[in-house]
Amino acid sequence: MSEQVHNRLAVVRAERKVSRQSLAEAVGAHYQTIGYIERGQYNPSLDLALKIAKFFGLPVEALFSLEPFRPLTYEVYGRKQP
Amino acid sequence: MTTTRLTRYDRSMLRLMNDRRGAAWYATAARRRLAVAAHVTLTLAIGGLMTHMFLAEGEPLWAVAVMAVLLLPWMVATGVINGATRGLLELCEHVLDERQSAERRRVLARAHRVTTLLLAAAAATLLITGGLAGDAPKAYAAPLLIAVLVVHWVMPLWVAGWRAQDEPAEDGVLEPGTLGR
Repeated sequence: MSEQVHNRLAVVRAERKVSRQSLAEAVGAHYQTIGYIERGQYNPSLDLALKIAKFFGLPVEALFSLEPFRPLTYEVYGRKQP
Repeated sequence: MTTTRLTRYDRSMLRLMNDRRGAAWYATAARRRLAVAAHVTLTLAIGGLMTHMFLAEGEPLWAVAVMAVLLLPWMVATGVINGATRGLLELCEHVLDERQSAERRRVLARAHRVTTLLLAAAAATLLITGGLAGDAPKAYAAPLLIAVLVVHWVMPLWVAGWRAQDEPAEDGVLEPGTLGR
């Protein structure tokens, strides 16, 4: 059971200028765990995913998805993926 | 990490295990595996010397001296593996986060399987040797038991060191493929 959960954590974290360390401390995880989630090497539990989403004030589906995310610019400006 | 309050010991161990001053020693998979290989070799050498001391007649003082010398690099190798795993096996369970706890369970399960196979092999060897030479089980039982005990003790460390992954890239550097994966 190693279903890939896609995420855009790296983008959101960079956009909000939050370090891995501060995010990790806020959600009670190790900073490496945040890195592995971003790299897709670890799928967080629902509990951790919800904590991360709450930290950014976003719905969990804005950060995690079973389908690959479209680039944010396409979503913001409504362009279709080529 | 759970919401349990960390004790002073927990915090100092957490700091120690996450101290990155020695990060260059375990930065790549090749270096981590080299550290594990060195640890295995040193453990076998020290175990061999202990066996020699047990079986040899007289007082093999040189063996004690060599063991004392080998213990230093053994401790360094142990530190390197612990650093690479961020104290996966050294820290208390409530200090670990969910990924680390899951990894520790996987490491212990794998180490248990490997140790079981080694125990079976050791038992078979002892029984076969006993069949060929009557006194062999009696003579080798104690050193073999010690060897098995040592391997059982350090096997999780070897497995954890072998499985340790590369550190995620530095903060501020978006790794390829992390943009909305």
